This record gives sequence, C-alpha cells and structure tokens, in this order.
Amino acid sequence: MAFNSLTEFLMMGTHGVYVWSAYGFSTLTLVWLVWNTLATRRKTRDTLRKRFLRNQAR
Amino acid sequence: MTYSSFFVSEFLVLWRRKQDVFNALLFFIIVVALFPIGINSSPDFLAPAAAGIVWCAAVLAILMAVESIFKEDYLDGSLEQLVVSGLSLPLLILLKVAAQWLVVVLPLLVIIPLLSEMLYLPSSGFWVLIMTLIVGTPSLFFIGVIGAALTVSIKQGAMLVMLLILPFYLPVIIFSTLAVKATQSGLPYSGLLAMLLAMSLLSLVISPFMTAIVVKASVN
Amino acid sequence: MSWAWFHKLGSPKWFFSWSKPWALPLFCFGCLSLLIGLVWGLVFAPADYQQGNSFRIIYIHVPVAMLAQSCYLALGAAGFVFLVWQMKMAPVFIKAMAPIGAVMSLVALVSGAIWGKPTWGTWWVWDARLTSVLVLFFLYMGIIALQNSLEDQVLANKAAAVISVVGLINLPVIKYSVVLLETLHQGPTFTLTKKPEMPAEMWLPLLFAVIGLYCFVAGVVLWRMQSEILMSEHRSSWVKQEVTKHGF
Repeated sequence: MAFNSLTEFLMMGTHGVYVWSAYGFSTLTLVWLVWNTLATRRKTRDTLRKRFLRNQAR
Repeated sequence: MTYSSFFVSEFLVLWRRKQDVFNALLFFIIVVALFPIGINSSPDFLAPAAAGIVWCAAVLAILMAVESIFKEDYLDGSLEQLVVSGLSLPLLILLKVAAQWLVVVLPLLVIIPLLSEMLYLPSSGFWVLIMTLIVGTPSLFFIGVIGAALTVSIKQGAMLVMLLILPFYLPVIIFSTLAVKATQSGLPYSGLLAMLLAMSLLSLVISPFMTAIVVKASVN
Repeated sequence: MSWAWFHKLGSPKWFFSWSKPWALPLFCFGCLSLLIGLVWGLVFAPADYQQGNSFRIIYIHVPVAMLAQSCYLALGAAGFVFLVWQMKMAPVFIKAMAPIGAVMSLVALVSGAIWGKPTWGTWWVWDARLTSVLVLFFLYMGIIALQNSLEDQVLANKAAAVISVVGLINLPVIKYSVVLLETLHQGPTFTLTKKPEMPAEMWLPLLFAVIGLYCFVAGVVLWRMQSEILMSEHRSSWVKQEVTKHGF
C-alpha cells in the first residue's frame, strides 16, 4: 500500500486534481462507449422485432 | 480516344477555364497575405516562416482545386464513359491528375518569386522552396484525388475532403519547410528532398489504383 | 493449417453465431483485468521518485494510447482484406471499430494533456507522440464522417476500406515526419524520463490494464458488429429467428 490514509490517497501528494480528473474523464468516456454500444444493440433488436411482428400480422 | 488525346483534351479544358486558374492563384496569394497581416509583418518573423506560409497556402489552394476534379465529369456522365472506355482507368486518372497539376502548379511557381520577396525569403531558401514545390506537390495531387473520388457523390463534399485529406499532407509540409529551414542554417537538405520525391513516387504508384476502385464503385 | 475459418468470415450468419458467446465473457474479463490493473496502480504501486503520484496516470494513458494505435492497425488490415478478398465482415468491422478508435485517441489526448500539466508545466506540447495521436484522432473522425455522409452502402464500404488502407500506408510516414520535426527543432526535449527498468510492482499493473483494455475493446467491437450485421442482414430468415425467438 503506497498510502497511509484515505485523505492521502485522495490528495495524491500534490497531484490529486490531475490524477482524478484524468481517471474521471477516461472512465466517463469508456462508460459512454459501452452505454452507446448496448443502446444501439437494444435499438436494433427492438426495431427489427417490431418490423417482423408487423409483417407477420399482415 | 487514345491516352495522348485524352491528356491533351483534359489539359485544354482546364486551361481554357481561365477564370478558375486565376481564382486558384488569387486564393493562394490572399492566404499568403493573411499571415503578415494577421500575425506579424516584421522581416524577423516572416523570413524564417516564409516557407511554411507558402506551403500552407499552396496546400489549401491545391486541395481546393483537386477536390472538384471529378465533380463535373460525374454529373454529366463522362466519368462513366471513362470507366467503360476500355482504356486503363488508373492510367486515365494519372493523366487527368497530371493535367491538373500543370494547370495549378505552373502559375503558382510563376508567382512565387514575387511572394518570396514580400515575405523576405533569402535567395538561398528561394531555390530550395521552388524545388520542394516541384518535387512535393505531385504527392498532394495524388493523395487529394483519392479524397475527391471518395466524395464525388456527395453534394457538399468540400469540407469532408479537407477533413479526410489534410492529415495526410502533414509529412509533405514538414519535409518541405524543414528543407528550406535547413538551407537557411547552412545544413544539407538533399535528404529531405529525397523524402519528398519518395512520397510523390509512392503516391503515384498507389493512388491511381485506389482512386480507380472508388470511381468504379461511385458510378455504378 | 486450415484456411476454412478465414473463408467462413465471408458469412455474416456464421460470424454472428460464432461471435455470440464470445462478446460478454471477453468484455467481463477485460473489465476485471482493467479494474485490477487500475486499482493496483492507483493504490498499491509506489510513487515515481521524479514525478510523484501524477505518474499514476500512466495506468490509463498508456493502455488507451496503445489501443488507439492498434485499432488503426486493425482497421487498415480489415480494409486491405476487403479490397483484396471482398470479405463481407471487413467493412462491418471497420464501421464498428472506427468510433472505438476515435474514443481511444480522444481519451489518450485528454489524459496525456492532464499528465503533461504537472510533468512538463503545460497542457500541450508539440511532441512527436502527442501530435501523431492527434493526427490519428482526425483520421478516425474522417472515416466516421465519410461513412455517415455516403448513403449508398456498397460505396460506403469501399470508401471506408480505401481510406483505412491509405491511412495505414501513410501513418509510418506521418510518424517519421513528426519525429523529425521535433528533433530538428532542438527545443527542450520534453520526453518522459523513462527509467531503464521500471520495478515490477510498477509495470505489472500496467500489463493487467493493457490486456484488460484489449479484451474490453474486443468485447465491445463484437457487440457493435453484431448489431451492424443484424441491421444489414435484416431480410434473411435467420435474423428473424434470432430476433423474435432468442432473447438476443
């Protein structure tokens, strides 16, 4: 363990702002990427399913 | 239609549109003029920056010209004629680019002495600048023509071509400006000219084939 | 070695059913490994003796920068495969991969800039590596923009393949030229002071993070490809079965 306490961990020496903003931005962007991928997946499935059901009913 | 007659007719069609040739030239000059006006007009700034300024302006002027190289042929159907003409499409594209190169770059070279005076470029750098333009601009045309083919079916494609193609122009700009800077500080520059020539030859070999693939896909 | 698997890549149906069980495990394993690497790097790895704790940005910056380049390599390879063999999966792959590559290079740029501030004193330096990642970002955005503006699908596929291959050929030249630009400038050399040997407790978490991010991207790209395949093959009966019967 490189840190003695939680505050020390959050402060990161004097570089807390930099480390946490870099990690925050990266995490948010990657989460957005996954969310976007899964949303596209769900939308594709719903669109196609609706289209097939409509064609069946006809 | 033979290859030579195709080249001659392409050249004449471009050359007769005097206004377009003139416009490209004026565009080039006004972009160059933006730098002294917008940044700094003292010789201390301009002399070392001259080659870079000329090259940036040349890159933009050339890309503007190349961007529309297929547009008219695509709209009036003569691009399709080229595809089915039985002649080699990559070779026809090569000739078309060569004709355009002559029409755009020759006037540019004529105006360079005037501009280099206005930018206080020393005479040693001037000749190297001319050499980099002659050796380096073919690669700009050959890379740009790929972008022109890619966007030929898009109505407002000019901005897209800029976005697609300008990153590929960076090495040419870097090698050329470094060559001029090298002479200004008395260093050898032949290696950089060789790099420019290599880029032009490489793009000459690859680009007509790539362009032909895209043109075929676009007209069908 | 049998080449059957390579030819099977021409069939969307085969690829879909083959890739289906892979995406989620790859993604989960990637997330786990990435998390281990990041937590290890953030909490347990010792601070750098020169840069202090800001060096911990390396555990996100380096994997992302590696992915930004690897994604383009894969893109160019797929473009080549499509131009030579007309493999149907290649353009699907390009379309799925380009946004991921763009995200990776953007994250690399931002985390690099944030790392640069405490290390170099400025957010941005025209350093060879930063500049080439910026160019990479523009190349990805160009591919995405091109695909969005071409309506004809056949043409869009060809176009994306051509521009990826051209980019792959050009990338080494671009890299070489920006390195040349930096070295001839004789400016202050803002290179990261890499010690010859990082101690194991520093590079091991990095290894975890890199492997994790590779698997993460592999999982995400498979998911994106699957949606793309379903959409483009929506007329075939297996898609209908897939969508209505199975849970997808």
